Amino acid sequence: MSQYAMLVDVSRCIGCKSCTVACMQENGLQSGDSWLRVRPRELLTDHLVRYYIPQSCRHCSDPICVAVCPIGAIKCGEDGLVIHDIEKCIGCQVCVTACLHGGMKIMNNGKVGKCSFCSHLLQRGKEPACVTVCPVDARVFGEREVLIREAGLRMTDLISKGTDVYIKGTENDLTKVLYLLLTLMAHTVADSKESVTSSDFHNPI
Amino acid sequence: MGSYVRPKSLGINSKPLEPDDNLRTSICCLCNGGCGIKVSLDHEGKVQAVFGDSDNPYNKGKICAKPMEIAQTLYGPYRLEYPMKKVNGKFERISWDEALELIAQKYNHYIKDNGTGSVVGITSKIGGSYSKLAHSIFSKLTGMANFGTGPICMESEFNVRKEIFGNGSATAPLSDVVRSKILLIVGNNCAQTKAGQFHWILEAKRQGTKIVVIDTRFTETAQAADRFIQIRPGTDGALGMALLKFVIDNNLYDQTFVAELTNGFEQLAQAVESITLERAAGITGVPENVIKELAEDLAVCKPGMLFEGRGIVCVNNAGASLRAFEDLMVILGNVGKPGSGIISHINNYGNAKGLIPKNHVVKPDRKRSAVDLYQAMEEGDIKMVFIAGNPCVNWPDSKRMTKAIQGLDFVISHTLFLDDSAILADVVLPATHWLEEAGVQASVHRVLQWKDKAAATYAEARSGGDLFRQLAEHMGLESSYFPDSPAAAWELERTHNKSIEGITIERMQRTPGGVHFPCPENGPELVRLYESGVFPTHSGKVELARENALAIDFIDMYDSPGNQGISREEFPYILSTNKVASHYHTVCQYSNWAVEMEKPYVEMHPQTASELGVIDGDQVRLKTSTGAMVLPAKITLSVPRGYFSTQPYFGVHSPYGKTPANSLFPVAVDPVGGNFPNKNIMCAAKAEGGQGQ
Repeated sequence: MSQYAMLVDVSRCIGCKSCTVACMQENGLQSGDSWLRVRPRELLTDHLVRYYIPQSCRHCSDPICVAVCPIGAIKCGEDGLVIHDIEKCIGCQVCVTACLHGGMKIMNNGKVGKCSFCSHLLQRGKEPACVTVCPVDARVFGEREVLIREAGLRMTDLISKGTDVYIKGTENDLTKVLYLLLTLMAHTVADSKESVTSSDFHNPI
Repeated sequence: MGSYVRPKSLGINSKPLEPDDNLRTSICCLCNGGCGIKVSLDHEGKVQAVFGDSDNPYNKGKICAKPMEIAQTLYGPYRLEYPMKKVNGKFERISWDEALELIAQKYNHYIKDNGTGSVVGITSKIGGSYSKLAHSIFSKLTGMANFGTGPICMESEFNVRKEIFGNGSATAPLSDVVRSKILLIVGNNCAQTKAGQFHWILEAKRQGTKIVVIDTRFTETAQAADRFIQIRPGTDGALGMALLKFVIDNNLYDQTFVAELTNGFEQLAQAVESITLERAAGITGVPENVIKELAEDLAVCKPGMLFEGRGIVCVNNAGASLRAFEDLMVILGNVGKPGSGIISHINNYGNAKGLIPKNHVVKPDRKRSAVDLYQAMEEGDIKMVFIAGNPCVNWPDSKRMTKAIQGLDFVISHTLFLDDSAILADVVLPATHWLEEAGVQASVHRVLQWKDKAAATYAEARSGGDLFRQLAEHMGLESSYFPDSPAAAWELERTHNKSIEGITIERMQRTPGGVHFPCPENGPELVRLYESGVFPTHSGKVELARENALAIDFIDMYDSPGNQGISREEFPYILSTNKVASHYHTVCQYSNWAVEMEKPYVEMHPQTASELGVIDGDQVRLKTSTGAMVLPAKITLSVPRGYFSTQPYFGVHSPYGKTPANSLFPVAVDPVGGNFPNKNIMCAAKAEGGQGQ
């Protein structure tokens, strides 16, 4: 597995959706075909907690989508990226249901689409488009070890200021896209859910 | 108009951008944030992608979604290609010469028969510095009165600050925030509205600046702040006055600054005397101890800065809030020092003087306020209107504005799109986009940045700069006063305006991030205003109180224009529009991506939803004294109970295909500053069409 990765810091995201549009621009995606979506989440404790969760493929090291795809349209690349072959895809959408991270998206034509990690940009020595535009450094690209250290620093800082966060993607659920998530939200509404309806307000999981 | 093409083929649905080593540098002209951008063109010179410019010191390569959406707005189905004339209700293509000749004839006719006041301009973003200068020369030669973006955007903020400091401009650049100890953000969701520059505020926070957000909604900015103070809509003035009173009563103000550099302190103290912590808490819903703590923080954390937003500007009682918070910064001594002052996107570097000999200047023969404009059009006092913008969508009471424009004798629209206003015109003229025009762009950092023309001119589009010069020629006016290019225009403006004399195009290009103003010839640029302690008021000091009137007068929003006299039983709720990151002006809404990122919705508290008997996504009919519209409910705890928030604008002739949100806002202005409100207007709401209970 090569050493680069991406860190998504949910504590910083301001929901401007610049990453979504940059992804669509870079990958030539039509309206409705976005591979990266930003979802608001809120929770009422003694005060209101609200954050945005950017959802896209996390490039798991042991991806469930590869296991469930009936025709082998999804493969693990040597560099650790999960690659989806749109030509082979039959649009059965089983992977969409199986993915725990909301990473597989249904396209306008019924097939599935997903983040390619902008592998064409990586080949040219550049970083993924969503990282380049993020105005608040909620998305960072770099060497995996460096990012884990950076995440650790951000975590210490946030915890010292009273915001409890944890890193996801480094232990038993290895992913190439690491997340810094708010602990408070972990037990409420699933991050993979596309949208939250009003009933979720009354019955948090 | 048609809709955008959506491929339904079962083949590959994505194609990465071709690498482009020949990117053009430009400055984004959308929100006055002034972000540097890099533009990628296709072989025809059309924009295919926009990236952030990592060499620009202000945004450091970061951008929001808006500039990336431009390619869709530029080449989408709504873009106007050539001049057209309406014949029997239908548009027919004509040449530019025919169009200009027709307009010139009509123009001369109305001036001769009905006086100069029978023709007015309603302009929003009519292009860059080139177009603005040509427009101002044309207005001086013809006596055309113009209504710009002032009343729909910043009139109150500009006027109140001008009364206080003698100049409506921001006193400090946003970049100074890293030097401040506390930043007070009032009614401003800059995380969304200035997303590309928001990293300055987060950087300041990391360096220890305390970020305090006062807002009715729990915004993205509030989410990122150290402290969020939720306030009842329209009561900011009372909070500001209570802070003033507490600071004055407890001698927490800068006594030297007040004594030496201000007038009217006694009057101010008297005006806020009755707003005790207890009374303010009752009005605002902010607990007494929170107000007290904020006042104490402001007194201790110095220097401090203030960043006000449309939340206290585009409201019907804006005057008191703006005056209270700005006076507060003054008496704390937070003016003219690094890390202190007022941040704003208002960049007033003054007007060029003496461009035309005095005997050639024609003054409009009638004066009208923004409110008078409606009536003057309805009564036939105005015969002809020159539109460069979309007043049927971005001015209040869209239905009334539409009807008034329909009733005019002759309407011209110089426009990018065949939008809700252009569709009513007798002659439409295709305009260039700011990427198709060179010019100077100001920013929230108080700098001026030069941008070259980045993209090929679309079809037959012409800039306002060319249009006004050519129209003057057709009208038989002296056209030699007009510059013939954006560079010549800036040279002319610079040499006739002392405050920007030193800001040559060459110097702007040489200086990364541009040049601060004022900047005299060969002189140093002024990063922030008033460091010398001299203010451009009559007295040379800061005026803490209004002349011949009460220093500040807090009036409840229910008793202010637009809500006054409306029944609370019939209209029990409050409606506001609030900007989002994906679009800013109406122009941004002509992108499919913008529509996809921010589909129309109305935010409401779960308790409000349950009162109406609706769940998330159900259609809700909102009604005010001027209009009604139907929007899907978006249930969120981030707004208070009884309060609705939606995005501004929309438009029937836009990709949204929806009644303009401004249909719901009355033609009424803040009596102090003159701004139209697009927030805090009383409304009624019910579930639409058999839904709910």
